Amino acid sequence: MSVRTVARKDLADAGRSKSLWAVTLLVLFTTAGITALVGMASDQPTGEVFQLAFQLAVLTLPIVALVIAKGAITGERESGSLRMLLSLPPSRYDVLLGKFLGRTALMLVATLVGGVATGLVVVTTLGGGLDLLVPFVASLGLMTVAFVAVGVGISAASASDGRATAFAVGAYMTFVALWNLVQAGVQGAAVELGLIEAGSQPAWLEFVAMFPPNRAAVAVYQSTVAGGQVFAADPFASVWFPVALLLAWIVVPVGFGYLRLRDADIA
Amino acid sequence: MAAIEIRDLTKQFGDVNAVDGLDLTVESGEVFGFLGPNGAGKSTTINVLLDFVAPTTGSASMLGLNVADDREELHRRIGVVPENYGLYDRLSGRRHVELAVDLKDASDDPDALLDRVGLSPADRDRPAGEYSTGMSQRLALAVALVGSPELLILDEPTGGLDPNGARELREIIVAENERGATVFFSSHILEQVEAVADRVGILQDGRLVAVDSIEHLRRDLDGGARVSLHVDREPDRAPSDLPNVRDVAVADGVVEGTCLEPGAKLAFIDRVREAATVTDVRIEESSLEDMFASYTSEGADANRAEPASSVEVQS
Repeated sequence: MSVRTVARKDLADAGRSKSLWAVTLLVLFTTAGITALVGMASDQPTGEVFQLAFQLAVLTLPIVALVIAKGAITGERESGSLRMLLSLPPSRYDVLLGKFLGRTALMLVATLVGGVATGLVVVTTLGGGLDLLVPFVASLGLMTVAFVAVGVGISAASASDGRATAFAVGAYMTFVALWNLVQAGVQGAAVELGLIEAGSQPAWLEFVAMFPPNRAAVAVYQSTVAGGQVFAADPFASVWFPVALLLAWIVVPVGFGYLRLRDADIA
Repeated sequence: MAAIEIRDLTKQFGDVNAVDGLDLTVESGEVFGFLGPNGAGKSTTINVLLDFVAPTTGSASMLGLNVADDREELHRRIGVVPENYGLYDRLSGRRHVELAVDLKDASDDPDALLDRVGLSPADRDRPAGEYSTGMSQRLALAVALVGSPELLILDEPTGGLDPNGARELREIIVAENERGATVFFSSHILEQVEAVADRVGILQDGRLVAVDSIEHLRRDLDGGARVSLHVDREPDRAPSDLPNVRDVAVADGVVEGTCLEPGAKLAFIDRVREAATVTDVRIEESSLEDMFASYTSEGADANRAEPASSVEVQS
């Protein structure tokens, strides 16, 4: 099947480049490394250490995933290898999906290696906390896939690599660096317009707060370690809602990218 | 069934018609040269055939399959060297061919194909990023040959090849054609087309200005052959009364005339020999360059046949 061949080729290609190793090292540092540092430098309980490591990982992993993904299509478009690939049986859909799966596998391998290393660090330095490792790795893994999807979607929708890079940086700034501002802006505007009273916290505002993949991942992790129910009365405190949000973050950007790529001239 | 059928194809980029109402049929089993100056619309036409760009209006099919709707089956059965293609810099030449074998569900031996295109065993294990343009072209051709395609589409395949490589490419085109493949290739280099094409189509400003065999085009153009006779003494009177011989000139011990058909050459030579001894004969066929120029330039010689009258667009 074309999708699998494209994905395998993409992964093999990445394996020959230094990117796989750079990404793995980067992920390893931001997960296991930071956890080890925090664990050794303080007397905090294991849960707190994981919490800190998680907060750092949701800052660093998104940019790694976006950088990995944003050239998926534009890189091939600029080098012309997309023309060679599309002159063979794979369709644009096959190429896009194959590329997404290849980059996803790359990020997941790195995240898994980082997660396992984190577990080892925690067990050796703190002695315990392995029960937190599964939600730690799972939420981070889901988040990185979502950011890979955003990056691949951007790549598929962009005519040039430069533009894809700009959009990827923009996505990072908006979702990760500046989302507090966005949230405050939305809230302020809603108060100005008389939609809500100052200081009130309606459900849709909670949704805005949780909207970016990194925020959703935090919600998944926190509700899981807090012994949260999968289906609680309050969707924002239950596990299913942020997970569904993350899944939407995987499907929608790739779908949007496909529609743009389908109608693009590959000249 | 026709190998390629293009019906009333128009592709606009903004206000510009890159291809303008093109009709073209390439019959199964022929070698078809697609000729035209850069910017004439050759690449846009091929981009439509390969489903790289969608036509503004009109339709195209290959092997009876719609180029967009049936692209997967179609691309399994054709081989392509696209224009401006790129290779995977980190993958070896052999890996490229293996990838194409995989994607086409073919069973070719990559090394046999690489032998055919002349990429040496040492080179085929190197990453393609280190290849010269000529090596890249050879590899691209090997990829195109995967799966013994029924139709080969080669967009400017000689670019970057040295004369030796160009000759080998011609041999491969002939061999593939003998195997039964239809070959459609574009070029702005005339002699490449002249050497192998059964028929040529000449594209200008997005329109087809001529489709015919090289011989017919040459004949229809009425270009004739320029016959130069070196003589021991110049005849008193220029032999300008022969039918089918024109532009007769006498100067510097040479009698020249343009002969419009083969018989006229002999008649011309005989006439000159009545008056003088011919010491040397030179005959220059009207070059394809002239023919090409007369088709594609606005100010074609008024004496020449109206190019449009020789257009024989298949339908």
